[in-house]
This record gives sequence, C-alpha cells and structure tokens, in this order.
Amino acid sequence: MRYFTRKIVFFLATLWAAITLNFIIPRLQPGDPAEVMVQKLAGKDAQLNPAAVEAMRAMLGAPEGSLFEQYIAYLKALSQGDFGISYTYYPYPVTEVIGQALPWTLVLVGVTQILAFVIGVTLGAYAAWRRNTRFDSIVTLGSTFLGTLPSFWIALLLLFVFGYTTGWFPTGGGYSSTSPGLNVAFLGDAAYHSLLPALSLLISAPIGWILGMRNTMIMNLGEDYIRLAKAKGLPDRVVALRYAARNALLPSVTGFAIALGGVLGGSILVEKIYDYPGMGRLMDEAIGNRDFPLLQALLLFIIVGVLLANLIADLLYGVLDPRVRRAES
Amino acid sequence: MSANGPQPTPLLRVRDLSVRFEPRMSPALTAVDGVGFDLADGEFVGLIGESGSGKSTLATALLRLLDKPCRISGGSIEFDGEDITTTSQDNLRRRRWRDIGTVFQSSMNALNPVMRIEAQFRDAIEEHSDLRGDAVTDRVRELFEMIMIDPRFMAAYPHELSGGMKQRINLALALANRPRFVLLDEPTTGLDVVVQRSILEAVRRLQKEQGFAVLFISHDIGTVLELSDRIFVMYAGRLVEQQGAASLLENPLHPYSKGLLGSYSDPRADTVRVTYIPGRPPDLSRPIEGCRFAARCPEAIERCQSDDPVLLPLAGGSVACHVAHLQRGPVQDAPEDLPEPTRVFAGPAFVKTAEDSARALRGEVFLEVSDVSKVFKHRRGLKRHSIQAVDNVSFSLRRGKVTALVGQSGSGKTTLARMITGVDRPTSGSIRFIGSDGDIEVDRLPTRRLRDYRRHVQMVFQDPYSSLNPALPLRYTLTRPLRNHRGLSAKQAKAVAGELLETVALTPSRRFIDRYPHELSGGQRQRVVIARALAADPELIVADEPISSLDVSIRAEILELLEQLVTDRDIGVLYITHDLLSARLLADEIVVLNQGTVVEHGPVLDVIRNPADSYTRTLLDAIPNRYLKPAQT
Repeated sequence: MRYFTRKIVFFLATLWAAITLNFIIPRLQPGDPAEVMVQKLAGKDAQLNPAAVEAMRAMLGAPEGSLFEQYIAYLKALSQGDFGISYTYYPYPVTEVIGQALPWTLVLVGVTQILAFVIGVTLGAYAAWRRNTRFDSIVTLGSTFLGTLPSFWIALLLLFVFGYTTGWFPTGGGYSSTSPGLNVAFLGDAAYHSLLPALSLLISAPIGWILGMRNTMIMNLGEDYIRLAKAKGLPDRVVALRYAARNALLPSVTGFAIALGGVLGGSILVEKIYDYPGMGRLMDEAIGNRDFPLLQALLLFIIVGVLLANLIADLLYGVLDPRVRRAES
Repeated sequence: MSANGPQPTPLLRVRDLSVRFEPRMSPALTAVDGVGFDLADGEFVGLIGESGSGKSTLATALLRLLDKPCRISGGSIEFDGEDITTTSQDNLRRRRWRDIGTVFQSSMNALNPVMRIEAQFRDAIEEHSDLRGDAVTDRVRELFEMIMIDPRFMAAYPHELSGGMKQRINLALALANRPRFVLLDEPTTGLDVVVQRSILEAVRRLQKEQGFAVLFISHDIGTVLELSDRIFVMYAGRLVEQQGAASLLENPLHPYSKGLLGSYSDPRADTVRVTYIPGRPPDLSRPIEGCRFAARCPEAIERCQSDDPVLLPLAGGSVACHVAHLQRGPVQDAPEDLPEPTRVFAGPAFVKTAEDSARALRGEVFLEVSDVSKVFKHRRGLKRHSIQAVDNVSFSLRRGKVTALVGQSGSGKTTLARMITGVDRPTSGSIRFIGSDGDIEVDRLPTRRLRDYRRHVQMVFQDPYSSLNPALPLRYTLTRPLRNHRGLSAKQAKAVAGELLETVALTPSRRFIDRYPHELSGGQRQRVVIARALAADPELIVADEPISSLDVSIRAEILELLEQLVTDRDIGVLYITHDLLSARLLADEIVVLNQGTVVEHGPVLDVIRNPADSYTRTLLDAIPNRYLKPAQT
C-alpha cells in the first residue's frame, strides 16, 4: 500500500509546483494584452489611445497588488474553479469557453489515441510473434515509412483528396446543418465531420506503439519463461498472450497513460487544418491573441491531465507488475 | 552406435541426430553431429561436456524447441516408439509436460514474473489432465510438500523467492504431471554450492521414489558422476564416450573424459594433482580432418590427424577414439606410435603437495585488516534497516603468498574485497597497507588519493566476458594502465604490453595485441584480465572468483598462471572463492567467512583437513563425494 500512497503524495507535490509555475511564467513574458486588444479593435495601423488601453485594462480586470497578493488571489480563484474571463471571447468566462471545446477534443483525440494504442500494440505483438515472416516485414517497414510522414501533412493530403477533390467529406468544422445536442442527427453529423481529422491522426499514431511493442515482445520471447511455457505444451495463444504479451505490455502502459494525458491539449495542427472546434484550435487562438486567462487555464488543464495520467500509469503499473510493488514498499 | 541396453523398446531412441546452426551473418556450423543413444525407462543418464560442446543444443533438439536459425538437419528422435523428429508442434503439445518435464539452465528466469506460482502450475496441469479447481490446488500443495517448500509460497510471485527455492519449484513444476522423462539442463549452474547440494539431493530422492528417466546435462562432472547410472561425454558436437558411471570413473576410455575427470580431485589429499586440457575446442564452421580432439590430445597418434574416429562399442561402453580401440580392442596391427594405456589424463597438470602447502608463512605482512565491520543502512519508507555485512574481521596478507577468502554468496567476501580495494569504507576497524613506498591507511583514504593506492592494488574479476571492453583492442586495454599508473610513453607502453601478454602465455604477443576480446576464448580473456592487473605493477591482486566462469578443463591452467606470478613477482594475492579445491591448489592460507564473521582461519591444509567449524564441513560435504572415494594419485 505504501507504494500507492507515495505515488499520490508525489502527484500532489508536482501539482502544486505546476500550478505555481503556471502563475509565474506568463508574468515573465513581455507584451500587454490590453494593448493587443485595443490594437485589434482599432485596426492594424491605428494609433493607440492610452485612455482606451486603460479602459480595456479595467474591463479585463488586469491584476493589482504585489506579486504575492496576486498569487494568493490566484490560488483562491483556482480553488473556486474561477479562471477569469477570456479576453478573446469576452465576456464569457474561461471555464465556459473550455467547456465548449473540451468534448470535441476528448472524443476526437481520445478515441484516436485509444484506437491507436489498441491497434499498435496488437499489430506489434503479432508481428513479434510471427517475426521474420512477410507480415512482420510489411508491418515493420510500413510503419517505419509512415512514421516519417508528419500528421499535418497527412491531414492536408486527406483534406485535399477527400474534402476538395472528391467532396466526400466536409472540409472543416465540427458540424454543419444540425444544432448541438444529444440527438442522432447531430451525433451522426459530428462523426461525419470528425472522420477525416481522426484518420489523419490515426495513420501515424499507432506506429510508435507497433515498433515499441514489437521490440519488447521480441526481447521477451527470448526469455526462459517463454521457452518453459512452450515446453509445458501450452497452446500458442496462451504462450503469446499470457506469457509474452502480458510482460511486453508493461513498458507501453506507462507510455499510453502519458499519451492520454496529452489528449487534453488536442492536436493543434490537425484541428487548425480542419477548423475543428477543439482544445488545439482554442490554444492556437489563445496564443495569437495573448489571451492570458485562457492560455493559463489551458496549460493548467494539460499539466493536470499529464500528471493525472502519470499517476494512473504508476498506479496501474503497480497493479500489473508485482515486482514494482515489492521493490518500493 | 546404440547403447547396449537389454530393453526392447527404449523410452527415448536417438539416431544419428544432427543440428545445423545457420545464422545469416556468420558461417553455418553443425552444432550436434550424428549423435545416437538410447535411454531406458527409469534410467538416470548424465551428459557432460564443456561449454560449446553442443549439449544444450542437443537437449533443445530433443524437446523440439529449436528456434531459427537452428534446425534438426538429420537423424531421428523416437519417444516411446513414436517418431517425433518431424511431427507437428500441435501433436507434440499433448506429450509436452505430460510425458516430458524439463528444468532449464539458469532457471532464475524460467518463471513468468507477473504470474503467481500457483497459476504457473495450474496452466500446465489443466492443459494435460482432467484436474480442475481445488483438485489442482491440492496437487500443487502436494508438489510443494514433495520439495519441502511451505505451500504458503504458492501465492507468491517468482521475485519473492530465493534462487534455490525457485529452482526447487522448477523441479516440482517439471514433475507436476508425473512425466516419464525429465530433462535437467544444468539445473544448478549459478547456484551456491550448498544450495546445489540440496537441489541435487531432491532430484535423486524424487527419481528414486517416482522412477522417471532423467537426462542430466552438466559441465560439472563430479555431480553427474555422483547421480547418474550412465554417462555420455560430448565434445565438439559429437558423443565421444558412453559408459556406466562407475566404470567411467574406474576406467575412462576417451582422453577427453580423462581430462574432465582430471580436473577434479580431493582437496584433502597429500598431493593434489589437477590436470587441464590445453588449447580450445575446434571451430565447427570449418571442415575438420581427423579426430576433433586430436589437437588437444596428449595421446594422439598419427592416425588421429587423418581419420575421424567413430563411436564404437568397447569394454562395456563405447568410445570414439582410435587410441582406446587400438589399446584395448581386438585390433592386431598396432601402429608404432601407440602410447601405453593410461587411466589419467597425460596432459599438463597443476600439482600441489602437502609440503608445498605447509611452507611456513614467512612472507612479510603488507596488508593488515583489523577488526573491520561494515554495516549497510537503507531506508524502507520511514523505517531504517541495517545489515551487518562484515562483522569484526581481522587477518593479514603477506607478500608472495596467497590467502583464500572462502564463503558462500552473501557471506561478505565481496564487501570485504571492496573495502580492501578502497571502493567502500568500513564502518569501523582499520585496513593498513604497508607498501614498499610507505604505509597507507586504506579505511581513511581520501578519494583523491585512491588513484595512488590503486597502483598497488589491482583486481581480477569473475567474468572475463564483461570485464573487458568489447569495443577496444587488447592494445588499448593493456596500455591504458601502463600510461595512467606508470607514466610510460605510448611507445614504451606498447612494448611493455607485449611483454605482459608473453607473461600470461599469450605468445607470440604480436598475434594478440591487436585483437578484440570477442576473438579470444574465455581462458584467453581471463589471461588478458590478469595481464591488465599486472600492468600497474601491483603489490596486491584481489582475484574475485577468477576461474568460476571458466570451463573446468582449463581452470587449473589459470590457477597455475596465478601461482607462477605470485612466485616470480612476489605479489600477494587475495583469492576469493567458494571452491575449496582451488583454494587448496592456490592458497597458502585460508580464511572462511560465514555471515560476515571469520569462522575459520589458518594454513590451508590444516583448515581443509581438520575443519573446526560446521560451516567449513558443509562446504567440504558439498563437494561431490562419490568421486572422492577412489584414491587419486
């Protein structure tokens, strides 16, 4: 049990450090959001009116007081779930803006990540089990080739072929003719819109899992316990799954949990290419507009996501590998 | 080429079996070449041979578990009348573990680390029997009791067990379905002698009770002789001799068998003579003319260079040796160069007499270990644990003498060596080095002065495969210490490196100096390690089990080299070992360590002949005693 408590304590400490860093870093950056905002309203070449900037500051609620006071206020607001008001989507609060984008990304990137992991690990394990066969060569060479293609490039290619040339799929957006809600028509529409972005992500995402799983599995197949399992006369399926794959999966589990943590950040390039209303596009906007409250909240979301995923990976690893529990407890 | 057993259908019948090893990147070779034998129900047969002789490949072939690039290239294997040489894996699966159980070499890893022990018994039992549920649990409990392990450990994971326990569990697992044939492939290699003993006793007891047939593969001829009814000797992929255990011991026919037998002796005898087989096994990827052993054989005659001998019956066994057949067979036309028959290996030997061992300890003391203790502390959560690794140990080393530090793993030998070489510091006590250029208090040596001290103290490690950098030629390995410690120029260093190679009998040195470690045999590598230790011109060499990873047939050769260096260079050696025979051969003085304390200390012959401590007696008893009964001269 000590293993698990230790991991949780460690998680809380890292979380605090992350929150604090998230507070400090934006304050070290140059540039005044109010000026950017006024400039944007006034047009690119217009002279800035100091009064307008001052008014904008007041409206946005620019921070007051010493850094320490700001920090306390920040922690207080955080604990109440108050991330402030978005500059870009004024006057909507940040939480609402993120709440709008989050489901889109969770579904698109989350589903593709899980699919990628399942497909990758299965292909990798099977390629290792049948190593040096044609299947193995095709999978290994194919993934090495596809792995060199960046996902935004694949996204552009798919968009060009299936969006513009053939017109089989919409070229952007999350939905079109329907209005958001939990009904069949909308869900179908959303799925239709997300197919191309999902495919763009799914083509290259399993490759890491395939190669990683194949390599660890081949290493595991050389272990004595595999030879013993074969000598025991166990069916191939049992040897491959319960003995080889079960052990080879362990390192991938950690990787997968961390990848899941990254889901919250979305996939900036692919979401931008398809104009997909998810977290990635939101982040892109927040950066472009110096929308500090939004950016800060997004970063915090991602950090918490990764940390949480790490914690889950650690806890899961403890369950999956009995050796870890003992070594530390 | 069959064994002449009276059984009508043997349990296992192997005929002319060959295994080819065909890797993509290197030349193909025949690892097992035309091997044939029979094994009867309930028979206990030992298979011995050096590493690389093909014995493990043969075992894997018998189980039909060869993986690419290895394959059975000829011959047949029949099990219980059924030819299993080419039968499909699906057909074989039914026989596996029901009829044939196995304990593999280095079984430390043979259990799945993420499955509980019981589950690993359960899948094997359920696959091959009608037992289910609690009936399986009961059977596993029974098996645990059979090997005398508390059934509580059924719920454990493999990493929670000690090496000896794991190996006994592997034995129980092999017997789970009451097989008719059990293959033991080096089942005790790497285990402590005392633990080895307990496992082999379990094997013998269970074999007597249950009557399964055993093929016991080992390089340890002593153990094999003690347990087996019949012995096969393998060399360079061939079976070279087959005899009853007792008659092999009395009257070995093949010179190679004599050589293997000659590498054991009773450390208590007045004169201990241990032979070694010079040279190394042939490269099997090249065609070999004549007898494969001829190049290393002291009895070889002209015919051996040209004619490949076949395994033919002789004197109740069978042997593949021209000389043996000519000497003892009915052949009339004996060639002129035929040597007299001999029971012992006629090659080089390392001899130590009682007088040698009893020479007074006159050398001047140059390292004093006084009341040294070492406590390791480590934290687990909030609790602090401490382990007393070394407890109040005192002894001294003398110039030109060898002191053996004997004990089983975990007795504190290595910790002591680390403190003597300045790697670790003692918790209390002192270590004083009385060097030729001043005293050094090793226990209080500041890190920056370690370098000076290391000049005087060098190490020879256990595994010559991992103690040499595989990416660098010997030239680098040997010139580095010369330049670091003795400040020689590159040119001087090269010359001295050549001399060093000559000193350790790697001659001519120019043939070796540009080689890489992988081009050398284990024995040659260990010589390089010794040469490297000599490079700094040290006063003390700490040799940590320098021969235990080498083949038995060449161990004495390395011991002889070490002894010669001691005499010629007046070096003191701390020889760490768990093997009393090598301690007797090399050492003048012996310190027996058990659980961190010195339990025995004195001249080597006194300690070995009259052990005062029960632990020393256990170590002596762990030497296969059946072998020791006939007096060896």
